[in-house]
Amino acid sequence: MWVYLERREDKLKDVGLELLGKARELAQKLGGVEVGGVIVAGTEDMAREAIYHGADKVVIIENPELKVYTPVEYAEAIAKVLQKYKPEIFLIGATKRGRELAAYIANTLTTGITADCTALEIDQKTRDLLQIRPTFGGTQLATIRTPQRRPQMASVRPGVFPKPPRDTSRTGQIIVERVEIARRRTRLISVEKRLEKDVADLPPVESADIVVAGGRGLGSAEGFKLLIELAKLLGGTVGASLMAVRAGWAPHTRQVGQTGKTIRPKLYIAVGISGAIQHLMGIMEAKTIIAINPDPHAPIMENADYAVVGDYKQIIPLLIEEIKKLKS
Amino acid sequence: MKIVVLTKAAVPLSSAIKIDPKTGTLVREGVPLTSNVWDRDAVEFALKLKDKYGGEVIALSMAPPSGIPALESLIGMGVDRAILASDRVFAGADTWATAHVLAKTIEKYVPDYDLVVAGEETIDSTTAHIGAQTASWLGVPYVYYVYDAEIKGRTLIARRFLEDEGVDEVYEVEMPAVVSVLKGSQVPREVRLSRKLNAREYIQIVSNKELGLEPDRVGLRGSPTIVAGLASATYPPRKKVVIQGEPAEVVKKLIEVLKQEGVL
Repeated sequence: MWVYLERREDKLKDVGLELLGKARELAQKLGGVEVGGVIVAGTEDMAREAIYHGADKVVIIENPELKVYTPVEYAEAIAKVLQKYKPEIFLIGATKRGRELAAYIANTLTTGITADCTALEIDQKTRDLLQIRPTFGGTQLATIRTPQRRPQMASVRPGVFPKPPRDTSRTGQIIVERVEIARRRTRLISVEKRLEKDVADLPPVESADIVVAGGRGLGSAEGFKLLIELAKLLGGTVGASLMAVRAGWAPHTRQVGQTGKTIRPKLYIAVGISGAIQHLMGIMEAKTIIAINPDPHAPIMENADYAVVGDYKQIIPLLIEEIKKLKS
Repeated sequence: MKIVVLTKAAVPLSSAIKIDPKTGTLVREGVPLTSNVWDRDAVEFALKLKDKYGGEVIALSMAPPSGIPALESLIGMGVDRAILASDRVFAGADTWATAHVLAKTIEKYVPDYDLVVAGEETIDSTTAHIGAQTASWLGVPYVYYVYDAEIKGRTLIARRFLEDEGVDEVYEVEMPAVVSVLKGSQVPREVRLSRKLNAREYIQIVSNKELGLEPDRVGLRGSPTIVAGLASATYPPRKKVVIQGEPAEVVKKLIEVLKQEGVL
């Protein structure tokens, strides 16, 4: 049972640690098999961090040529290590880079892969990994198996599984593997942090517990400012429907729905969003949905826990005022 | 420049889906299919390169014959010709077995390709596997999420965006290569009806008779992964409490809700 530990500069990304937690749980169901991790061009500190989070063994792929991420060279190096250690199961975080690597690694190992699993289980009879993923726009939940080939591979989006507690009393083995790359075919020549014109200095829409989102019904960018104020007061963030993004009121990174982000906040407040099926797919797993809309028959109102019928321009400013009063 | 665009004739999300009870896979036969929406970014990206450097853009798809209209609309956008790999033995394929057919079709029918372009993912399956798997089958390098590129000799200078890190990266990639195109990054050109009307004559259909792939390496039989179960996704039922009245009254109730939810 192995996990890819993605590194960003000098730190492991959380998704790798989350997968270590899940891997431990699955390993127990398999009668206590070993949990391994692999880091490309990582340090012993990173490996120890992985051990504190559940790894029994961590392989650090060592090669100065691999210090900087490039897709095909990384994928080949990881595949080589897996060929040597032959895990039964290999899990990979479905970050943008992880998604880029996963299918190439699987193909190199002549095995299958399941993308973006939301649940992983062990079939007690066959000991197969059950790879469960939403498909067809989130309307169907498919259970996938890899009966013949090994490893069984699955990718999992960040935040799906909880990060296990850090236990500094855990011990494990750190192995440094020198891996050669055949011939470099991709080369990174520049990196630039994109200064996206975001609407506010607020957390990404997929990582907040409270999301206040706006749609076409807002009518203007001014309306969006009210939502930002409310989101800040509630300690949340703002999101947008496709229509609000198209209108230029919010960047694409804040779009919620099938063609944007699928989110699982504790509270989702939809303001002026009609609730097209593509939007609803993105919020199906929100714990509580409050919709504010003048149209009581808008689809979002049928899919809300609290359907507030009314004009947001009257309701939101008043709500902000009341919350401020409560807080002072 | 010879550019192959990988494209999927996808089951539209609005249609009633049919599941094959034996295999648990989505039935595509006899269902009207439309071209995956994100492939239009890939086609636009390829056509822009052709506009700049000349050459030919070839769309490639693996689908039952009901996938023909999807290819016709891409030809209407300006794709020069299309190849449809279509055979009953290809049905029920997972991404591994699909990429296998696509790569072997490229090797046989477009052996002198310079670039293979794919959409970032499909709207119905959203795996983003096919680009990397095709690169692996072809034995060529690849880069995902590309939105702009230029060509210098045998090198592709590819600019891409990683949304989750908020980072732009520029890669030099040895050609031939595979790239996937960042979804929503292009403004796809309109379908020209006059061109679409005659599109059928630019579509070549190849079956496994021509490709000669081993039946146990394609389709359902050749797929490393199998669908063991498919169920309608269930989501938490909603309370559907309606709150209406004067704004002050509504806000009072909302405050109560926020307290209940532990937000305030």
